[in-house]
Amino acid sequence: MRMATADRVTAVVLFVVGLAMAIGGWTMDRLEVRNIHPASIPGLVPIILGVLLAICAVLLWYSTTKDPERGTREFMADGSWLRLALTGVSCVVYALVLVGWLPFFWATAVFVSVFALIFTWPERAEQKARALAIGGALVLGFAVAFGVSILFEQAFLVRLP
Amino acid sequence: MSGLVDLGASLWALLTPMTLFHVAWSMLVGIIVGSLPGLTATMGVALMTTLTYSLDSELAILVLLCMYVGAIYGGSRSAILLNIPGTPASAATSLDGYPLARAGKGGYAMGLATAGSVIGTLVAILMLVMIAPPLAEAAMNFGSFEFFWLAVFGIVISGQLTADTTPLKGYIAGILGLMAAMVGSEGLHAHVRFSFGIDDLNAGIALIPAMVGAFGFAEVLTAMWNRRGVLASTKDKSDRTIPRLLDLWRFKWISIRSGIIGTLVGIIPGVGEDIGAWASYAAARRTSKEPDKYGSGSYEGLAAAETGNSAVVPGSLIPAITLAVPGSASAAVLIAAFFIHGIRPGPLIMIEQPEFISSVAAMLVLATIAMGIYGLALTRVFILVLKVPYAYLMPVVFTLCVIGTYALSQRIFDIVIMVGFGLLGFVLRQMKYPMAPLVLGIILGDLLDKSLRRGLTLSDGDLTPFFTRPVSAGFAALILISVMLNLPFVRRGLSRLIGRGRRTKNA
Repeated sequence: MRMATADRVTAVVLFVVGLAMAIGGWTMDRLEVRNIHPASIPGLVPIILGVLLAICAVLLWYSTTKDPERGTREFMADGSWLRLALTGVSCVVYALVLVGWLPFFWATAVFVSVFALIFTWPERAEQKARALAIGGALVLGFAVAFGVSILFEQAFLVRLP
Repeated sequence: MSGLVDLGASLWALLTPMTLFHVAWSMLVGIIVGSLPGLTATMGVALMTTLTYSLDSELAILVLLCMYVGAIYGGSRSAILLNIPGTPASAATSLDGYPLARAGKGGYAMGLATAGSVIGTLVAILMLVMIAPPLAEAAMNFGSFEFFWLAVFGIVISGQLTADTTPLKGYIAGILGLMAAMVGSEGLHAHVRFSFGIDDLNAGIALIPAMVGAFGFAEVLTAMWNRRGVLASTKDKSDRTIPRLLDLWRFKWISIRSGIIGTLVGIIPGVGEDIGAWASYAAARRTSKEPDKYGSGSYEGLAAAETGNSAVVPGSLIPAITLAVPGSASAAVLIAAFFIHGIRPGPLIMIEQPEFISSVAAMLVLATIAMGIYGLALTRVFILVLKVPYAYLMPVVFTLCVIGTYALSQRIFDIVIMVGFGLLGFVLRQMKYPMAPLVLGIILGDLLDKSLRRGLTLSDGDLTPFFTRPVSAGFAALILISVMLNLPFVRRGLSRLIGRGRRTKNA
């Protein structure tokens, strides 16, 4: 995707968010029952922010038509999508699924080991190199899980999830 | 003068074995965090905040300041050796540092960067003890009208100066931060806004989970997404790493000027170390006798950039302590940490805790000394740190992001916030939206909201006092000028006017 297209998509999203916030602020309870000053209604600043964001979104859309360089520049072209997807998925699964479902020690040991193994896995190598990668990842995973659990539970008195 | 006396007394009080122990380890961790590309000072300070909940408040703040100073300095290691700034603050350092390393003078370049950082921080500490107390006193006269404009000024200037491509993206980031601050119970009538029936949102979005997400998780994603740099492979031929006194004397004016520029940049809300470094670098180049050497291995350029970025650290604490308006993204986390440890930054600090400013300055002096010692003694050792594979480092960082976020309130919901801000932060970074205004928006949202509505209540709905009180009028004019100067048609009109003026003069 080109940067200009990405900016246009963002402009639409931001416009909708801005509009939603402005409407949310406008329809928000004005607390008349509590006899507050009409200038201090809770929705005032959200209305202003919503309108400002919508204006910025329109300007952003307009700026994409005025900047030819943005039309040629690729969006997110200088990195590895595979590495990003693997990192994103493993981190999100750890944070939102494993933590809270498994005891913290095991969740962390599994996450760190798997993460390290994915990114150090030798594709075309001998059994020995693969065994070393697995061993290294497991040692790191358990060491980090043990160290972090002890630090937070014993030193900072945190009840681990 | 009394500021310096207070500084001496605070320094003396801090000289205990326990304090020195904490300075020693936190500075080392700070330099390591800063030297690893992908881990920034803000992330380091945010993560360290989660590790210092249980420490005594003075020690916790000392540890956080050491982390901040160390990480900004540590960024120069990878900038010189990898041509990848460890933190954005060291981008200008890599321009001259990397060519020097390739020419086999990496050791000496790192020594000079250390000396520059030490001088820059010391100049800025002096300015901190001189400027902060009178600024806090002046701010005592600020009312709701002035605080409203101060918050707007912070967002506008930060959005303008930190944006990569167009200031518009900086403004948008700032507005998004302010919007995030609108979630939860508001400060005047305790009405819950935009919680969507989720009880956990009633208290709003906490700053630490948001910061750990935007700077921790987003940086893990960015680091794994990017390709890594290659260590400058040329064998180091520097005969020494400690800079000659003669060299330091040669750069005395550059160092002092860069220190002052860095401090002033630090005072501007939400602008940060990278701008401090670039501004000092540009000023040094403009006045140099050898401007053509800049960018190809100039010692002067290296010294200016490193002095400039280090001076921003104490500079950014000036508004953070006296106005509760952060001078940089890391200072925003520090403000949150101050609150966690029972310190209320703002104009009342000189009444509630008059010794706090000199105490912070003394902590910065200790941090600077530790930075100088580590920087000169362990120059070559830090090269080893840069060889740690990301595959081992990043899962550890993310584990700390998760547990550190959870530890504050022991709520799983905070982890969800952290992940959400991490994903949002990554996408926004890729689309060239700066993170500093977003953070500033989250921290200033409450101040802006309360000040506007309180001001309007005081004036019975009349907007006039927002524009007629002298300080308010000044802020309003500054904001208007800085926004107008970014509008293309205003700039075109101005350049036409200037061109016409020149032609008339020549005729």
